[in-house]
Formats: sequence, C-alpha cells, structure tokens
Amino acid sequence: MSLEGKLALVTGSGRGIGRAIALKLASQGADIIVDFFRHRESAEQTAKDIQALGVKAEVVRANVGDAAKIDELFDMIGSKFGHLDILINNAASGVGRPLAEIDVKAWEWTMDINVRACLLCAQRAAKLMEGRNGKIVSISSLGSRFVLPNYTVVGVSKAALEALTRYLAIELAPLGICVNAIAASAVETEALKFYFKEGLAKDSRQATPAGRMVSPEDVAKVVAFLCSEDAFMIRGQTIIIDGGTSVGVLAFAGKVGQ
Amino acid sequence: MSIEEQVKDILARITRVDKAIITRESTFKEIKADSLDVVQALVAVEETFGIEIPDEDAQKFQNFGDFVSYVESRVAQTEKV
Repeated sequence: MSLEGKLALVTGSGRGIGRAIALKLASQGADIIVDFFRHRESAEQTAKDIQALGVKAEVVRANVGDAAKIDELFDMIGSKFGHLDILINNAASGVGRPLAEIDVKAWEWTMDINVRACLLCAQRAAKLMEGRNGKIVSISSLGSRFVLPNYTVVGVSKAALEALTRYLAIELAPLGICVNAIAASAVETEALKFYFKEGLAKDSRQATPAGRMVSPEDVAKVVAFLCSEDAFMIRGQTIIIDGGTSVGVLAFAGKVGQ
Repeated sequence: MSIEEQVKDILARITRVDKAIITRESTFKEIKADSLDVVQALVAVEETFGIEIPDEDAQKFQNFGDFVSYVESRVAQTEKV
C-alpha cells in the first residue's frame, strides 16, 4: 500500500467527497484525521469505516472558518502526532443566492471557509511536513471558471482557491511539498441536493459525455493519485474531473452524443 | 440572564431583528433567519454554553421554543456531568 505509515488530515470528511477521499487514502494505508463541523454522527461513521480498513482514525471537530479553531486543530496534531504527510482541503460551505442578494456576511462566511482556511491550514501543515514529501490537495469546483446559477460567492471562492494553489505550489516546493487542486463538476453528494434541485442534476447527467455524474469515488481516486509519488512533477495544477462536460459547448445545449 | 434570554440575544444580534418580536412560537422564517443565520446562531450558542448541537438535531427545531428547550436540556446534561 503506497500510503502506509502516512498521516492525512481531510477537512470536512464526515460526508460526501471528503468521506470518499478519507476512505480512499485509508485503503492505501494512511491513518486519517477526520475533521467535521456540523455532523458528528457522519464523522464517527467515517472513522469506523476507516478503522475497519485496518488503519487509525481520529475524529476532530473544527470549524475551519474560524482561524482560532484551525490553530487548535493543528496544535492537537502537533502534540499528538508531531507530523503530517497529507492535507486535503475539502471542507467547504457557501450561500446560494442571486448576485444582488449577496451581503458581507455571506461573502465572508464563504471566503473564510473555502479560501482563508486553505491558506491557514497549509501554513500550519507545512511546518509539520518538514522532510516528509508532504502533499496538499484542495477541492475546487467547476464554478471557479463557469457561471452556475446562484453560485457567485462559491465560484469566486473556488477561483481564489485555485490561485492560492499555484502560489502555495511554488512557495512550498523548496520544502518538498506538492500542492495541487481538483475541480469537479456536480458530484452526487448530500451537499449537491442542498444546492441544486433535482432538475439540474438530471440536466447535468444528460450533458456529461461520460454518461453519468461524477461520484465522490471518482474524485477520491484522482486525489489519491495526487498524493502519490507518481504525481511528483504535477505542481500547482487544478485537475478537472467532469466526465468531459467542460470541453464542449454541447454541454450547454443540454445533450451530447447525437 | 436566563438561557432563553441569552439565546434570544444571540439570534436577534445575528438576524438583526428586534428581540421583542421573538417568542417561543416564532419560526426561523418569522425571525427572518436564513440557513446561514441559523448556522451562525448555532455556532454562537455552542460557544456560549460549551455544548455541541449537531445538524441532525438542529434540523428538528420547528421554532425558537424548540431551540431553547434543546439548549436548556443540553446545558442541564453538561452540568450533571
């Protein structure tokens, strides 16, 4: 197993994409710190499922939108483990509103969780990754470059996250740390149900050349690759996982393959 | 100050409504609390009282009274421990 003996922190790993990533890294031998904010039951279930794979799991509650909580999280990791090999910036939130209704509170909430947290976590993680060939992978979304309904704040936050990924990749390279991101189209998760009504999910399936929506496991496989030494020369990139949706205008016509 | 008054203060501060309009029967919608307001209120209440309110529980709150009763019972549990 390629990640045996490694320690990974996956923020927001109780559910959805974060859970799938945590399980994938665990299946390759990594011990996992399962961070959650609002859903303890889901996080504890994820930890149980990780332990069933024969590796260690530690459940920690931290709202990464709160800088003090990030400090507490990394203080704990530092004192309990003394190191970290992999950081997955997955935790995300957002306020789905038309542009005209975005207020300062919605903007700051989204930016603090989706971008600032990734910077602060990377800063603290880098210190724990010294001499360990650390990996940092952040989870973006196609909303960073394409306009989705009521997605302005999240889309802008993801664009900033992708820019941050490039800067981190260069500045952390001398420390031996590989930094990348992935951007997926709509992934079948609980969060998606919250953001989009069923109608849009159906449209998305029809508009995906690969013939189905992206699953959390699809994302987890790419993230695991980016955490492997095979991806050593990939730096500062955002890998798109969308079944081909974004490469053709056909997607916007709502159907493909005819 | 009672737990109810403290929770009311937090909710009124976050939603910027006059706390006088908040009663135990008020729904979050009536208090003009959107989903972000509710999460921020939950976090503020958690920090004030040193408790944890998972979303699984919070989703069951029908009105302000349910919220307060939940906080009261969780605080009582904490004090017993």
